[in-house]
Amino acid sequence: MKESGKIELMSPAGDFASLQAAIDNGADAVYFGVEQLNMRARATINFTLLDLPEISNRCKEKNIRTYLTLNTIIYDHDLSVVKTLLNKAKEVGLTAVIAMDQAVIAYAKQIGMETHISTQINITNIETVKFYAMFADTMVMSRELSLSQIKKIVKQIEKEQIKGPSGNLVEIEIFAHGALCMAVSGKCYLSLHAHNSSANRGACKQNCRRKYTVIDQESGFEIELDNEYMMSPKDLCTINFLDKIIDTGVKVLKIEGRGRAPEYVATVTKCYREAIDAIANKTYTNEKINEWMKRLETVYNRGFWSGYYLGNNVGEWTNASGSKATQKKIYIGKGKHYYGKTNIAVFLIEAFDLSVGDKILIQGPSTGSQEMIIEKMKIDGKVENIKAIKTDIVTFKTNFKIRSSDKLYKIVEV
Amino acid sequence: MVIVTLQRDKCIGCNYCEEFAPEYFRMSKKDGKSVLLQSVEQKGFYTLKTAMPDAFEICNKAAKACPVKIISVKEI
Repeated sequence: MKESGKIELMSPAGDFASLQAAIDNGADAVYFGVEQLNMRARATINFTLLDLPEISNRCKEKNIRTYLTLNTIIYDHDLSVVKTLLNKAKEVGLTAVIAMDQAVIAYAKQIGMETHISTQINITNIETVKFYAMFADTMVMSRELSLSQIKKIVKQIEKEQIKGPSGNLVEIEIFAHGALCMAVSGKCYLSLHAHNSSANRGACKQNCRRKYTVIDQESGFEIELDNEYMMSPKDLCTINFLDKIIDTGVKVLKIEGRGRAPEYVATVTKCYREAIDAIANKTYTNEKINEWMKRLETVYNRGFWSGYYLGNNVGEWTNASGSKATQKKIYIGKGKHYYGKTNIAVFLIEAFDLSVGDKILIQGPSTGSQEMIIEKMKIDGKVENIKAIKTDIVTFKTNFKIRSSDKLYKIVEV
Repeated sequence: MVIVTLQRDKCIGCNYCEEFAPEYFRMSKKDGKSVLLQSVEQKGFYTLKTAMPDAFEICNKAAKACPVKIISVKEI
């Protein structure tokens, strides 16, 4: 259970590097999926049951809350694995489960596991909040609500003193940043229809992100569209009106992106951490907003819009298939050794080259995502050099530990 | 002879294989993933060799429907 009243920043973790990036960059909480029953079910971006103790330990050490997403639709054959997951989550001491299906909610209640209601349930009114208050202390609102609607719900919770199982007032969570989709609360049939690949089982193929044309079947004429990506919304960004968001009384801000890279988690978490703190310290200024926006643009995005929060009547659609990030990372090499006493890192260059002055990114399951600029480096431990090439062994100082599982990237402008 | 393989660890438990080929696939009540009946496991791949005449056609339906493409069917 979180400290009542404080704003909680919740970051996504698709793997250990992202988890560490979230921890290092100021997240108050992380959420992640295990095995197949979550909204990012494809195996490459998931933890297994065996990872749970490690996740829990890393987060407990830093006093970070841990939320297990178990929010797909559930079939009869899943019921036993639901129990296995929840029992394990309870055993290792995760903070809560984020649930959609009543079977998950009911079993979590039965074993005394704190529950959060997923946005998949699509809560849009106070009576539904009241209903789920029997089971949950925190509820994620539907992504389609405006800020004034959210504010009314929060006010009503206070007025009617709607409390969750913990005895505290129900807290409202909303999405602050990341991808949106064209379907109401993600309840989309498109991917299932086209590929048997259900979005509601965490296997969305993102058909909406592609280009489409409209053809008149009678004449065969193609209708010209202003934008062929007619089903692909831009990404949500609220950092430029975060004061208004916090003013609604929501208590948890979630960053979307369990499928995103560690540097995305690091950058977005850090920007929102700074913004939340700036609002608390009354130093939230336009200059800072501009600077955060620039930083947010460096990582994966489809262009930004404010979602439905400001009452805009139609969506804003992207005009690109993938990211509009202003930076990209290029793989350079891997970690070889770290001299702890002198803080010297050793890397093997496996591709491209590395020069003094380059902005680099070092990522790994324990290292997370660390950015720095190379000021000095040596090649093969001897001469100080300005440029290293493939097969060179380079050494330079870092103020964090390097492991053999670490990868070295160069950051370049796109 | 028909050889059917299932790369089980990547299964997301959607149930399509059992829908299309219930004689060959069953959803595990233990971990919610697909089981290729009477198969032999090696390094995470479950293989069934069968001489049943309609195995190719039936299992191919399951393979085509699989959203994560972890079923393969070969006729030799």
